[in-house]
Amino acid sequence: MHDTDTDADIASAPLPTAKTLRARKNLFIQFGRFLAINTKMLKIIRKEHR
Amino acid sequence: MARVVVLGGGIAGHTAALHLTRMLKRSDEVVVVTPNSNWNWIPSNIWVGVGKMKTDQVTFKLGPIYKRKGIEFHQALATAIHPEGDVSHARPFVDVSYTDSTRAGEHGELEYDYLVNATGPKLNFGATPGLGPDGHSNSVCTSGHAVGAAAALQESIEKMKKGEHQVLVVGMGHGTCTCEGAAFEYAFNVEHEVRQAGVRDLADIVYLTNEYELGDFGVGGLTFTQQGFQTTSKLWTESLFRERGIRAITGAHVTGVEEGVVHYEKLDGSISSLFFDFAMLLPPFRGVDLKAFDADGADISDELFAPNGFMKVDADYTAKPFEEWRAEDWPSTYQVPRFPNIFAVGIAFAPPHQISRPRKSPNGTVIAPSPPRTGMPSGIMGKLAATNIAEMIRNGATAQVRTASMADMGAACVASAGSGLRLGSAASMTMYPVVPDLVRYPGTGRSLKDTFGEIGLAGHWIKLALHYMFIYKAKARPGWHLIPE
Repeated sequence: MHDTDTDADIASAPLPTAKTLRARKNLFIQFGRFLAINTKMLKIIRKEHR
Repeated sequence: MARVVVLGGGIAGHTAALHLTRMLKRSDEVVVVTPNSNWNWIPSNIWVGVGKMKTDQVTFKLGPIYKRKGIEFHQALATAIHPEGDVSHARPFVDVSYTDSTRAGEHGELEYDYLVNATGPKLNFGATPGLGPDGHSNSVCTSGHAVGAAAALQESIEKMKKGEHQVLVVGMGHGTCTCEGAAFEYAFNVEHEVRQAGVRDLADIVYLTNEYELGDFGVGGLTFTQQGFQTTSKLWTESLFRERGIRAITGAHVTGVEEGVVHYEKLDGSISSLFFDFAMLLPPFRGVDLKAFDADGADISDELFAPNGFMKVDADYTAKPFEEWRAEDWPSTYQVPRFPNIFAVGIAFAPPHQISRPRKSPNGTVIAPSPPRTGMPSGIMGKLAATNIAEMIRNGATAQVRTASMADMGAACVASAGSGLRLGSAASMTMYPVVPDLVRYPGTGRSLKDTFGEIGLAGHWIKLALHYMFIYKAKARPGWHLIPE
């Protein structure tokens, strides 16, 4: 069941640091990201409804 | 007075029907034909499939909504279209077979002036022997399937709590499946649940996919900028697999599923088997079993439908190699060329070709993700059909129809990677356009400004907000139409 190529790609993929993982869960940072991502998504949505 | 019949009550059909009630005169009629009595917010089936939500949190009865909105509702399965009418019908009509308990099996004929085919997919479990809830694997395609998947997953978790090792396989049940994003979401939600249950060390989670490489998602992968560099969804996705310890088998076509074992062929032609304790494998889609007949009763299904059962619209269906694919091949109004009063939207329209490069194994097996056209694109197409039908009713031959090609349409996707207001996470992505256009965007085919990806708790909040917002919209609560598709 081994998929040698994909396993090797996964094994060499960048691993997030502890700091990055904390940032992904930090409520203050994530609230800011929530607003930023929604803004990006609204931009895409506006293109459809122009 | 015009009569518009909408076949299908999913995202595309329901969106079209609700907008039609807003855009047409009171004297016009809007009719919905769908075999299901419930509407289902399918993206949240992922959470039903891990036991985090109940069926009634992702579904609601369509009947009361349609009664309130003045929509004529037929709980029935459309079986044939007669776009020219016949000897006994001057107008075009649709044959239907009722599915509600009071009229089960009864035949009906519904005349129309305009028809919206939003019948969605037929879940083609039969394409792979042993696939699906009636076979040896689970599915999350319907809320009922998801309930079964949650129960099976819980059994595996209980076994792990007793110290038993379990192999959990999540992915695609055929080489031509679509919706890789949903399988991706389910794999990471399973991993999240197993971790929360404190038995992660006893679970071997394997993602089995027809994608050539991780991060393809059936759209040929994405390229976006991150911290001053261009990066790919492949690298980004592989990073998440590494972080969460999920293994992956790519470029696989599942040939059969037996009790506890899945057989598959890979793009290099090798044949392998994978033993499992729990499997959730999505089926391939095909068009629903709908036929078409001309005024004399001759079968014209081949003219209206592609061999995969999806309806042919204003696309360029000329067979050509990947290198010659163009953005212009994709449909823009979703009208059937010979019958411009018929629209096919959402999954029901036949795409001209895949978005990802199609590949074959040395044995000739096609292993090629089909193009995704669910969610946001489906809703946009549904609204487009409603807008154009209203315009055609108002202005007849001088009507100016609007367009919405997937090659000029963006999509916002949120792929859940675990639920919980504090512990959840999701991959948030946008892409523009969905179908790459190498003429407008040389190199990657998409706008680097409008294509991005990010992982974090914020994505989970967005997915949860979308869940409540779209159910509110689908229930046609006050101001529903202000919520974009």
